[in-house]
Amino acid sequence: MEIFITLFITGFGLGALYFLVASGLSLIYGLMGVLNFAHGAFLTAGAYATWYFTTSIRADGSLSSYAMSLLIAGLVGALFAVATEQILIKYLYDRHIDQALVTVGLGLVATSAYLGWFGTDPLIVLPPTQLYNTVQIGEAFVGVDRFLYIGVAVLVLLANFLMMRYTRIGLIIRAGVENRAMVTALGIDVRKAFTFVFFIGGFAAGLGGALATTYASGVGPTLGDAFLIYAFITVVIGGMGSVPGTAIAAVIVGTTQVLVNYYVQGLGDFVVVMLLALVLLVRPQGLLGKVAH
Amino acid sequence: MTKALTLSDVNVTIRGSHILQGVNFEVQAGVVTGLLGRNGVGKSTTLRSIVGLVPRVGSIKLFDQEISGLKTHEVIRAGVGFVPEDREIFSTLTVLENLKLAERDKDPDYDTVYNLFPELLKRKGQRAGTLSGGQQQMVAVARALLNKTKLLLVDEPTKGLAPKLVTEVADALEVAAQATTILLVEQNLPLIKRIAKNIIVMDQGVVVHAGVPAELENPEFAKQMLGVSGGSH
Amino acid sequence: MNLLPSKYRYLPILAMVFFGVAAFTPILNEPGLQQTFAVAFLFAALALTYDLLLGFTGLLSFGHALYYAAGAYGAAYAMARWDWGIIPAGIFALFFATAIALFTGATALRVKGIAFAMVTLAFAEAGHVIAVLNMWGLSNGDQTLQLNFESVPDFFLGVNNTRNLYLLALITLILIYVAVWWLTQSSMGRVLQALRDNEERVSVLGLKPFNFKLIAFVLAGVMAAFVGVVAVIVTNNANPVMGSTQTTISLLLMVILGGIATRWGAVIGGLLYVVLSQRLTTLDTQGALSGLPDWIGGPMSEPAFILGVIFILVVMFSPGGIAGALYRLRMKFGSAVK
Repeated sequence: MEIFITLFITGFGLGALYFLVASGLSLIYGLMGVLNFAHGAFLTAGAYATWYFTTSIRADGSLSSYAMSLLIAGLVGALFAVATEQILIKYLYDRHIDQALVTVGLGLVATSAYLGWFGTDPLIVLPPTQLYNTVQIGEAFVGVDRFLYIGVAVLVLLANFLMMRYTRIGLIIRAGVENRAMVTALGIDVRKAFTFVFFIGGFAAGLGGALATTYASGVGPTLGDAFLIYAFITVVIGGMGSVPGTAIAAVIVGTTQVLVNYYVQGLGDFVVVMLLALVLLVRPQGLLGKVAH
Repeated sequence: MTKALTLSDVNVTIRGSHILQGVNFEVQAGVVTGLLGRNGVGKSTTLRSIVGLVPRVGSIKLFDQEISGLKTHEVIRAGVGFVPEDREIFSTLTVLENLKLAERDKDPDYDTVYNLFPELLKRKGQRAGTLSGGQQQMVAVARALLNKTKLLLVDEPTKGLAPKLVTEVADALEVAAQATTILLVEQNLPLIKRIAKNIIVMDQGVVVHAGVPAELENPEFAKQMLGVSGGSH
Repeated sequence: MNLLPSKYRYLPILAMVFFGVAAFTPILNEPGLQQTFAVAFLFAALALTYDLLLGFTGLLSFGHALYYAAGAYGAAYAMARWDWGIIPAGIFALFFATAIALFTGATALRVKGIAFAMVTLAFAEAGHVIAVLNMWGLSNGDQTLQLNFESVPDFFLGVNNTRNLYLLALITLILIYVAVWWLTQSSMGRVLQALRDNEERVSVLGLKPFNFKLIAFVLAGVMAAFVGVVAVIVTNNANPVMGSTQTTISLLLMVILGGIATRWGAVIGGLLYVVLSQRLTTLDTQGALSGLPDWIGGPMSEPAFILGVIFILVVMFSPGGIAGALYRLRMKFGSAVK
């Protein structure tokens, strides 16, 4: 039973990381119809930023430095995302296949750039020692870091909810996900929302990257790519354009993957992938999806 | 006559189908003009081409301003309101959110809207997707009445509505016509006869007649132009 | 419906001349070069099979590498574990891949567009995971499944016989090219292109789009598997990378670079891709980039970087790829009869 609790919470924590990456993917696809294959590169950028910050700028291993590195990682991811939208995506308006292809190219370029700059071997990132502690739940011991991931993800989910419900841009995004043409027919320039959605998506991905360095104890050039496939699966299962759906799906994917992988190494990955195929065939719009692009 | 809207040789091709084949007409300012014709002749496409929701070539003038090159949101901001066929309200937003999204002016006219459609005030917190068809239509029309417009494009607002609701919509359009110009696509001929001053008839992607609603009294005319028996329904 | 004008009918003849020259040119006497070109020919063939799906039928598949890997692993497995000879192993691999393509295709084609792409991606990932993790002992995981040298005739073994591998790859490319050419020119090919452009009109004609798409999907998969079998002989093993997203993305790059829906475009794209990758790596080892500051030199030494940048530029400015650019050049300079 103890092992189940530990696995479940670890899976939940992994799901939290998937959520951070997937939420941006979901909004970008839901609002803009862009399948962003470079989203993993945003995560990796945030991860490398964290590495650099905690080893060169504030290498004191303190919690406050770590917290700052999270913020910076988010900003790095956001900047990278906005640059992508402004330099590449914007010029391919409504050419959805070409937009997706361009992000494939960008992902390739980014990964090889990371490879060229930082080398193939993972760079170690040591989190503050407090994050090595474990917490006792019943008979089980669970790493404290898992709760950090979950906490950050919950914060992001909350911020997203507030933004969507109480701001005008949130209103525009919610409407745009459902019917983009009609939003323009109300006199609103949706393209501003595009940049915004890339910003928040990139921020969440960068943040996820920073946390991923703790989860994976380091960063390598393909860190984001490894997360990207599962983030895609999460988005499809949860439903394109629905952040709450993504959250639910992230928990499902993360816990399933970790639990099954424990008993048969690799089978969890396989099961999750098959789950994707199943959802696509039975309910293509996902759990809470609104878009049928 | 002041021309609120002038179309010259407007052509629209969608996926290989040449839907509008050189549309020419003028819309008089300050009154309601009906745009009539059988199903499939291109009436909705004409409205959509004016706001730029379909790619179009040709000249489209809003009063003296050429708008054929503008993007949709720019056309709307130039002072055009659009009530699409099939309403296209946002089902996941509440009634109030649907209205708020449509706000453009500093002082949107909620008073008029709630006076015309008290139901909407009552249900402002309700998710629009759970409204009845008639109530959704009210939201669609209300959206367009919130702002001051130079031209209001309305596409079959009474389609599928019960007679009582048809009257409400007609009342609303009459009120709106006092302050703006309306181009109204409709199949409901009594409604046209009641509120329209002019009519334009289309067939097979072009305009075939421009005149007045009284002409619809002539059954021959009605049948020839619209394929329906004229007079009262 | 064919994207190129009839002026381009002479191209198959040109292609054959090219192939003939390539087969017998004495310049390529160096085994290293022969190996490079052998791999290039195989990828060109693979790119062709992918273009059949993407360019001609309009099916965006993110899992094409799965069938290539299935062919490779099927053959390698039969040879290594069951001691079969190359021909029976190859036939087995083709049947194996057909079964997989039928199953995955029939499932994936139940949805369209992006959903279809994602399902194919899912299946390919599943296959890749099986290969990497050596599930059920089918692959050898990261150790790769080595070619059983006893199953293969002698003239394919040893460095001295690299030339024969080169010829084998070339013949494979020619066979696949002819097959794809014949398919796309046939009446079925026209239906596929019609499907790509406007599916509704095809069903209105009384034809079932699903059946045609499935046939195209399975044919493309089987041909990819065929290339996979040859690949095992040429590269001496079956490895998990063959079925990875990396490979599918490479195919995507090749087809887009060369020019979608043009057969020779896919070939050019494939050749260019492999040769560029190899040559760019040697550029670095030869120190040609040592003059550049680290932050440029680092990425530039990765072939994927340059290829990715070229790819982005092509997508943004020249969506027809090399073939499209050449076509526009011809239009511009008003080339007359050839």
